[in-house]
Amino acid sequence: MARISIDPITRIEGHLRIDVEVDGGSVQKAWASCTMWRGIENILKGRDAREGWVFAQRFCGVCTTVHAMASVRAVEDALELEIPPSAQYIRNLILIAHALHDHIVHFYHLSALDWVDITTIPKANPVRAAALADGLSSWTGNSHRELEAVQGKVKGLIASGQLGIFARGYWGHPAMHLDPEMNLILFAHYLQALEFQRKACQVVGILGGKTPHIQNLAVGGVMNAINLNSLATMNMDRLGTLQSLLQDLIPFTQQAYFVDACLLAASYPDWLRYGRGVANYLAVPDLPVDGKATQFDLPGGVISDGDFNSVRPIRNWKDDTIRGAVAEDVTHAWYQGAGPLPPWKGKTDSDYTDFREDGKYSWVKAPRYDGMPMQVGPLSNVLVGYASGHALTRKWADAAFHRISSVHGYPVKVDDLQSTMGRYLARAIRAAMLSDLALRHWHLLSENILKGDDTTYNPPQFPQHEVVGLGLHEAPRGTLSHWVVIDNGTFSNYQAVVPTTWNASPRDEKGVPGPYENSLLGNPVADPDQPLEVLRTVHSFDPCMACACHMLAATGQEIAQVKVL
Amino acid sequence: MNAEFATAPRVSVIGLGNILLGDDGFGPCAVEMFRCKYECGPDVEILDLGTPGVDLAPYLYGRGLVVLLDALDAAHTPGTLCICRWNAIAPSQVKLRLTGHDPGVAEALTQLYMLDQAPHELVVIGAVPKSCEFNKGISSEVFRTACIAVDHIAGLLLDYGVRCVRRSASLRPNLWWLDDSATSACCTDIVLARHTATRRTMPSSESVENSL
Repeated sequence: MARISIDPITRIEGHLRIDVEVDGGSVQKAWASCTMWRGIENILKGRDAREGWVFAQRFCGVCTTVHAMASVRAVEDALELEIPPSAQYIRNLILIAHALHDHIVHFYHLSALDWVDITTIPKANPVRAAALADGLSSWTGNSHRELEAVQGKVKGLIASGQLGIFARGYWGHPAMHLDPEMNLILFAHYLQALEFQRKACQVVGILGGKTPHIQNLAVGGVMNAINLNSLATMNMDRLGTLQSLLQDLIPFTQQAYFVDACLLAASYPDWLRYGRGVANYLAVPDLPVDGKATQFDLPGGVISDGDFNSVRPIRNWKDDTIRGAVAEDVTHAWYQGAGPLPPWKGKTDSDYTDFREDGKYSWVKAPRYDGMPMQVGPLSNVLVGYASGHALTRKWADAAFHRISSVHGYPVKVDDLQSTMGRYLARAIRAAMLSDLALRHWHLLSENILKGDDTTYNPPQFPQHEVVGLGLHEAPRGTLSHWVVIDNGTFSNYQAVVPTTWNASPRDEKGVPGPYENSLLGNPVADPDQPLEVLRTVHSFDPCMACACHMLAATGQEIAQVKVL
Repeated sequence: MNAEFATAPRVSVIGLGNILLGDDGFGPCAVEMFRCKYECGPDVEILDLGTPGVDLAPYLYGRGLVVLLDALDAAHTPGTLCICRWNAIAPSQVKLRLTGHDPGVAEALTQLYMLDQAPHELVVIGAVPKSCEFNKGISSEVFRTACIAVDHIAGLLLDYGVRCVRRSASLRPNLWWLDDSATSACCTDIVLARHTATRRTMPSSESVENSL
């Protein structure tokens, strides 16, 4: 039996440690540990509830926007404050653009190299690769000249001996199966993705005033001024710019990313069987289409034990199906306290003991839904939508199943999504859905503005007594919830239950493991010194532990050194 | 792409670091103080990017010069200011990956190099932190270093040949995440603007659009 410890496991913002015991070529036991103390919530206690979001969006360096949004929603929920429709659409467009950016970056830049061996690219035939890609998609970035140019760059990089960040890939690993042409196509899209993620950032920047760390939010709406007769505000010109950016971005997500994810699934069909893990799924409704948030474009719900017939809808943010069902357990987390606590009563007092696999071993708490561990993320989003007959989810999920079955000759059903590869596929399905919704919400915003509605803000009124609020957002990594207690305009408690808390949860008081831990059981490991297969499953969740102190290291030559006295 | 975004700015001055983690907030603090002390032309953008990891790439894309302000893990006394060319410290960044302290600069640069859009020059102005503890504010040593770093930024920009002049009267830096007491004692010519929810204003949309 071999014991493997991988620390850190994320390609961005580390701090996730995974320990596995391997026997007979597969994982028998697994532990997920967050190695970074956060205690972020403590910084919000005692602050003005109107400015919580400014601090909350510094929780994490990558998912800034989502925390800002959950924070204002939590305060609005506590105040029963509705926001103007244009504010809702502006927020939605920001959330959609942010999610598209995030999904694209996850697929290509954070995880594709677990599947794509770039060192085989020099052997590819660009003409054959172009013909293959053309047969799969109408994407315009697949010409043989384009692919030849990318191949030339990879050859140059390898010849120079400066593989740089690519030097730490598991090249030549027996679990890498793609032929050189497929590797070339996917790596060409990896590079093109850098251009397209910029467009998504621009959408967030134009609406949010700055990215990262948007500046346009307010409890009660947004600070964007709308005036069709002013050059400096939201006007037709700016709406046109947004539309053209979205129209540039959408073909990439639907014709390149979506197609590539299907290609990957068809090329690694075994991975539709590994990594199922916790088969309880949670997603919350998002993209409200009215100011009161009564109707949503993305449905929410709960599925238990992989049984799609069991789906229970979460109809809106006031629904007790979510509000009364969440509690966090700290039996195996480095916090004081015993027994699960609902987030509004949650505490964040540290109790560090070192890594003890039968005791406390993580900074992540164990959130539970009616006592059950839950998986969150695009997979939950897609499964809940599919199970509840949501038309847009079915459109893109069925398109993926059809594509894999007919183009690649491998039959896939919705049940196969409950797997490592299923999480990659679900993220691509969600990106294709969000691309359709981007244009819909752009139209909703434009129509509302053209109707003459330039309102974007309803001022909040804080009662002198205590109120509680819940801010929900179906973020790129899954259900995000901020639970706040406000007393006379000031936070008296603040707890964030983030997607990675659900997925990277340690064992609970009953010893039941969380989704990462469970999904690794039975995972193949061909070579314990190169645990690529473990990374594939963990990366399929898109882990993002909260951000940490992240200094550059200087061991080279300095131009200058100044002692400051 | 829309004409409005046709050209990237020539020079970016970027603060990296988490403002909630003590001296890790050196970068954001220094760029805000630089903005308030110096005035630059439209070809210079000044950005607090927090800890973007690999999402840094869009902000380095196609630039001529990038000046990165960040906390620096070096064997010097806390508060020491170190100025390095990226190439000189790049090899240590790839190793750094294994420790988990990964700002993503190496990733972003390699990707941009593949696109022929890497910045021509990248200089790191780093401060050796005293403490990166959560919610404890910046140390007086590193805050003093930030006050001094701003003049080095100006020097680099002038050497590069872009306009950068000292303002006749400094603006008030908006270091909204710090308490007055943490900073006023050690840098008497800096008057901090207190952040309040009601006084917040949107940054001009021009500066945003130029930045992408």
